[in-house]
Amino acid sequence: MAIAHKDPKLPPPEPIPEGPEWIEELGPFASVGETLAVLARTLCPHDSLPERCYRRVVRAQDRIAAETQALGVTVRDFCALLDSRMPLPFAELSESYRVNILKTLENEPAFIFLQRSTVRFLYDDVEVWEAFGYEGASVHLGGYIHRGFDDLDWLPNPPSGD
Amino acid sequence: MTAHYQLDDDGVVVIIGSGAGGGTLANELAQKGIDVVLLEAGPHLTADDFVNDEWGGYEMLSWLDKRTSSGNWRVAKDHPTAPSWSCKVVGGTTVHWSACCYRLIEDEMRARTVYGDVPGASLIDWPITLADLEPYYDKAEAKMGVTRTHGLPALPPNNNFKVMYAGAKALGYDSVSTGRHAINSVPYDGRPATIEDGFTITGDKVGSRWSTLNVEIPRGLATGKLELRAECCAVQIEHDAAGKASAVVYVDAGGMTRRQKARAVVLAGNCVESSRLLLYSTSALFPNGLANGWGHVGRHYLRHIIQTVWSIFDKPVNMHRGEIMIGMLDEFAHHDPSRGFAGGYYVELNSMGLPTTAAFLDPGWWGRDFASVMEQYANMAGIFMSGEDMPQPDNRITLTDDVDTYGVPVANIHYDEHDNDLKMRSHGYKTLSGIHKAAGAKRSIEAPAYPASHNLGSNRMSARAEDGVLDGHGRAHEVANLFVCDGSQFATGGACNPTLTIVALAIRQADFIAKEMAGGAL
Ligand SMILES: Cc1cc2nc3c(=O)[nH]c(=O)nc-3n(C[C@H](O)[C@H](O)[C@H](O)COP(=O)(O)OP(=O)(O)OC[C@H]3O[C@@H](n4cnc5c(N)ncnc54)[C@H](O)[C@@H]3O)c2cc1C
Repeated sequence: MAIAHKDPKLPPPEPIPEGPEWIEELGPFASVGETLAVLARTLCPHDSLPERCYRRVVRAQDRIAAETQALGVTVRDFCALLDSRMPLPFAELSESYRVNILKTLENEPAFIFLQRSTVRFLYDDVEVWEAFGYEGASVHLGGYIHRGFDDLDWLPNPPSGD
Repeated sequence: MTAHYQLDDDGVVVIIGSGAGGGTLANELAQKGIDVVLLEAGPHLTADDFVNDEWGGYEMLSWLDKRTSSGNWRVAKDHPTAPSWSCKVVGGTTVHWSACCYRLIEDEMRARTVYGDVPGASLIDWPITLADLEPYYDKAEAKMGVTRTHGLPALPPNNNFKVMYAGAKALGYDSVSTGRHAINSVPYDGRPATIEDGFTITGDKVGSRWSTLNVEIPRGLATGKLELRAECCAVQIEHDAAGKASAVVYVDAGGMTRRQKARAVVLAGNCVESSRLLLYSTSALFPNGLANGWGHVGRHYLRHIIQTVWSIFDKPVNMHRGEIMIGMLDEFAHHDPSRGFAGGYYVELNSMGLPTTAAFLDPGWWGRDFASVMEQYANMAGIFMSGEDMPQPDNRITLTDDVDTYGVPVANIHYDEHDNDLKMRSHGYKTLSGIHKAAGAKRSIEAPAYPASHNLGSNRMSARAEDGVLDGHGRAHEVANLFVCDGSQFATGGACNPTLTIVALAIRQADFIAKEMAGGAL
């Protein structure tokens, strides 16, 4: 596991509650928070990642929807559609059922927004960077010139100057 | 010392856009004692403003004003309202670029003659030759501090390059090297050597890479001849009764509409914007847009055959460490009809952090397979190509009915891939994956093209007025004091990354403008 750094000029990541109260902090997506967190995990299923990584995605999506009212409606309608497909709500379905439902909806604008924004925010999370070996900001640490920019040792070294 | 010109001063050269073309031209003209007003739509940022953060940098620097797209290119599906990728800041996309610097080769500048009649393609020969450009390439490389030129040492191999090198050597591609870059391997021209931070593309806080923000513009300003007006967006070019460009209308930072008179006008807004401005500058004399009597403005738009292969290895690569694109091989750069397509391509490196790798790997891809690839990010290497695409008259920039905040119609970019383009894409993917495979890749992913980063050809130069928009000095065939100084002037695209050529053409254009002025012709 890597140690990752966010640029010190940027605001540090905000904590998110570990308990169910994380939903209460949501705006337009308060009623569908749980569904969206399950959706994010279905789109980008990383068994090693804790729930809070996916909740942060939903919080970021919620903030976008807070600025564009129509989006909130579209996404809530989409969640209702997800819940209507099977005798159980989407969030309670096993993975293969969730995947099969989503495969039929890939061209829906709400799906496109949710899929793109899940990728946008999940992989822009320092905890996820650390999990997958991306170290992030480097200039404030002197770059990588003395921190392994050429430390790959399982292939022969090219002649220097090449 | 700072220059300040009046709005009704009609002795100034007005340049629109401060990137590779406009920023360089502004400095070159100012050094010759010519009065210049440089209009730049974006803000004037400094190294202190920049962040080491992929999305933070993207949002800070990019041109995010709306565009639309159409055609069968994948970009229209993946990035429908952001089909081309450039920056909106003082310094333009040189604040962001990764600084590969290669020259066009002779055959590429005679594409129509050498490639022959490619059905559906609107190839022409350049109105100038490589010999015309060579002295200016020399000057451009010297001013930009390009590695492996003028005695400057190469950039050192990084992890991602070691993978490319091993694969290329195993396949006998002996030209493989770290390539040539406007990034200092040693201190040069007052700028430090790289610290291999991997963030040149979010502004380059260290300043080891050449940009017009850190080199050309400050030097131009120091002459007292150049006035930079940041956050000033040009919306129209006006002409006088004789059909010569007379003024540029722009909206300043406070939202006020201004009119700067001009002795000559130069468009350097990165291709799409330059064509958009010409198309929108209509009048009784130029009903289809300024300099568009032959109907070529916006047409023959090119964006290169650009694509990346990302591969997964058994052991760590850590491609995010170090400079981004430092690897090149040119075995496929020359036109070779036996490959089954016209034109060539360069194999280069690419690396991205986790955030943008995820976004560009294959937009729309989700599920277990996608996630398992992302989990192996640390063991991932990237390899890239830039190749020549075929000009087609209907691949073009047009104006839509939608308008931006200044009331100017939003541009649409239409692009259909030519069969030649598709053949080159397929050939290129095989080459890129083959190199990684030879280095031990377990799996390779053929990533589609991302938004167009090399925007070219949409105001092309041509020997005959009826074949293009500009003459061999980037001057409009129909308007004697109107110039274009960005990639839109390229007659054809060539294969390599375009910026060294844009800078060489700017230096050459400065010589021409100065000569014309001295001779009283301008
Ligand atoms: C990801 C990426 C990597 C790249 N890497 C390389 C590389 O390694 N090598 C290479 O050769 N090239 C590279 N490029 C391409 C390179 O950045 C461009 O070729 C080059 O910057 C184009 O120069 P330009 O002067 O045409 O436009 P720009 O540098 O984009 O400058 C245009 C300027 O004009 C301004 N402008 C536009 N319209 C108006 C208006 N109406 N009024 C006022 N101002 C306006 C814009 O705000 C901008 O600042 C890369 C590009 C990208 C996106």
